Amino acid sequence: MPAVIEATRTIARRAVRPETPARLRLWATLTVLTAVALLVSLSLLMARVQQQVRIIGDEAAPQAATAADLYFALSDMDAQVARMVLTADRDELAGSQIDALGTYQERSRQVDADVQKALSAESDHDRVLELMGHLATYRERVWQTLTAGDAAAGYYTQATNVLHLDLLPAAKDLRDSSTERLSQAYARKSATEGWAVTVAVGLGAALLILLVALQVWLARRFRRVFSPALLTATALTVALIIPAVAVLTLQASRLSEARDDSLTPFLALSRARAISYDAAADTSRFLISDNLAYYDDDFKRKSTCLAAGGSCGPTADEIEGGLPSVVGGPDVSPFDRDQVLTRWQAYRTDHERIVGLARGGKEEEAVGALTGIRRGDASFDFAYFDAAVADITAARSTEFDQALSDAKLVLTGWPWIPVAVLGLVIFLVPLAVRRRFAEYR
Amino acid sequence: MRLRALGLIALVALAGCDTPRSEAATPIACASGKIAGQGSSAQANAVSAWIRNYQVSCADATVEYASVGSGAGLTAFIAGTGDFAGTDSPLSAEDQPKANARCGAGPAIHLPMVVGPIALAFNVAGVDSLRLAPDTIARIFTGRITSWNDQEIRRDNPGVSLPATPIRTVHRADSSGTTDNFTKFLAATAPADWPHGSGSAWKAPGGTAQKGSNRVVSAIERSDGAIGYVEASYARFHNLPIASVGNAAGKYVTLSDAAAGSMVSGAKITGTAGDLQLAIDYKTVSTDAYPLVLVTYEVVCKAGAPGLVKSFLTYASSRTGQSAATRLGYAPLPDALRDQVAQAVAAL
Repeated sequence: MPAVIEATRTIARRAVRPETPARLRLWATLTVLTAVALLVSLSLLMARVQQQVRIIGDEAAPQAATAADLYFALSDMDAQVARMVLTADRDELAGSQIDALGTYQERSRQVDADVQKALSAESDHDRVLELMGHLATYRERVWQTLTAGDAAAGYYTQATNVLHLDLLPAAKDLRDSSTERLSQAYARKSATEGWAVTVAVGLGAALLILLVALQVWLARRFRRVFSPALLTATALTVALIIPAVAVLTLQASRLSEARDDSLTPFLALSRARAISYDAAADTSRFLISDNLAYYDDDFKRKSTCLAAGGSCGPTADEIEGGLPSVVGGPDVSPFDRDQVLTRWQAYRTDHERIVGLARGGKEEEAVGALTGIRRGDASFDFAYFDAAVADITAARSTEFDQALSDAKLVLTGWPWIPVAVLGLVIFLVPLAVRRRFAEYR
Repeated sequence: MRLRALGLIALVALAGCDTPRSEAATPIACASGKIAGQGSSAQANAVSAWIRNYQVSCADATVEYASVGSGAGLTAFIAGTGDFAGTDSPLSAEDQPKANARCGAGPAIHLPMVVGPIALAFNVAGVDSLRLAPDTIARIFTGRITSWNDQEIRRDNPGVSLPATPIRTVHRADSSGTTDNFTKFLAATAPADWPHGSGSAWKAPGGTAQKGSNRVVSAIERSDGAIGYVEASYARFHNLPIASVGNAAGKYVTLSDAAAGSMVSGAKITGTAGDLQLAIDYKTVSTDAYPLVLVTYEVVCKAGAPGLVKSFLTYASSRTGQSAATRLGYAPLPDALRDQVAQAVAAL
């Protein structure tokens, strides 16, 4: 043991001898070691950030969008079933019925596709399997409803119960867990970025100091002021560190802007849209169930929560701030936002008119007012409202995709750039001091 | 901060080198006002979708369409109460001059807007794919073939195992353009076996009559051994198997949008000066044409039609309009014909 310590002490003393070759060797070794450390850590951290951006863009964000879409498709599926029950025996509404059937099938396929995508998240497996079980029950109830003739209303109550009490809560769980995963992915990326910037700035500054100090010492000791190799190495280091930090900050800000200005509003609007579909279906449910006040009350609750925010019902979702805050934002003009609110108000008025007609015994007129496509008919006014919401939703989704592809673009190649640049630096430093060593041979 | 700005500028510059994303659907050029049309119920679903989409995009326009049947629609147009009429068959020789008189400044023209393929939907145990020649179809619907394992059907379907179920045919009880086009097909391709001519009312004896396509398709779904003719959208949405029909070129063609379009492409335009009446030739067809098609027209005045009619029909004949109809189970107009219709609409 003492022999090892003796040996180490001897080597160390020899390394820091004031003689010039030893000093030179020391400086050069330190510089190269710092460069190697910077290369390895920056490269690895850049690769990690790139991977995390990919995870956000290819896994976490799509999963959150899929879960939101699933909730929405389920809500509309039941709305279409209500429409089919309502138009079942009326010849003049055959067109409306076939349209409802087509839309129901489309939403059904959409639900299946979303469930399949949701299975890609390991941690959600059990929730998805549970949801699939409820979905099977729901489809059975729908089949019974559509073939039951006069008894349709009873079976439909069962179907809509399965949807609201089993399916939608399960979809909401999936949505919450995927949103949670998205937040975590962003947090992890943030942490990695922090480290990368620290390493780039810290080790980069150290390397720069070493390079500059080496040149100063060389200039004083050998009276050679100009060393092209070392100057190049210094320039390369600066040319690496500044863009590296810029790239990291840029993609971080772009992605977090995208989350705050596009993705989160997109998900919130998707939730509100699902609630609006469900609320609009309440008008049909009211007529199917022989003017059951429960559905009118449910509509009023959902309509209030859409208008002003809050909880939309004991088993339903909730929206913060209602449509005005969910639709509004820097990306939506005040005119467009007001259009959405006005159009929803118009639908609300239609619902009240239809409920009034039904309560007054004018059932045929009520059904006509619900299914017609004239302005002032509920079906048209809802399509009008939904068109405005759909435009905003699509715009936000495109914005987020664009931001993501920008972030990926900005990070392209960065895991390898430090390797190339610092590799060159590591080559240049010994090259520069080799000549000086030659003077001592 | 400046660094961020520089970085963003670099990004934008790079993004400019990106491949352009696909263009959104062309927006509708809106007109304002109110128009009303009546007529064919076969196109009612497509017209409803067009009206809804048009009114959603154009806040100052109101379009109405009453599905009262082709005959009543043309009568209303001639009487001047409709701005356009929807019809499955062109104006008859007696009515054309009356319509021209109604229009005054120019003739009344026909514009084909959408194609509705007619499906022969069936419900036979163990069979999900069937080929039927025109004479077999005629014999089935006149009651001469009564069982699914008849030798004629077996001749059309070599290698398919057919059960001995009795055939139950279903036809329309009410007057319909679908009946008209189906019987036209039979009269042209199997005259020896189909002596009942063509028309909107079903004349052959036997089979079950149902009012409306909805009921026809329910009757087929409910009865083992049933076969009936119905608009393709109904058969598709009810997931019923559809028979492949033999065309005059000797091929059995499966129903598809492309095959229906191919049939319509082969039709001759018998109208002149912007009138695009089609005469479907059942005898000279290309090998990939599905012969059972229904072409539905809008009848409008060539000169003097309200601007809203022109704008609405421009949307209906555009690619966006055609794909809205396709979503509901119709087949879009073949491209060449669609361009001609678009030109004719532009000349209104």
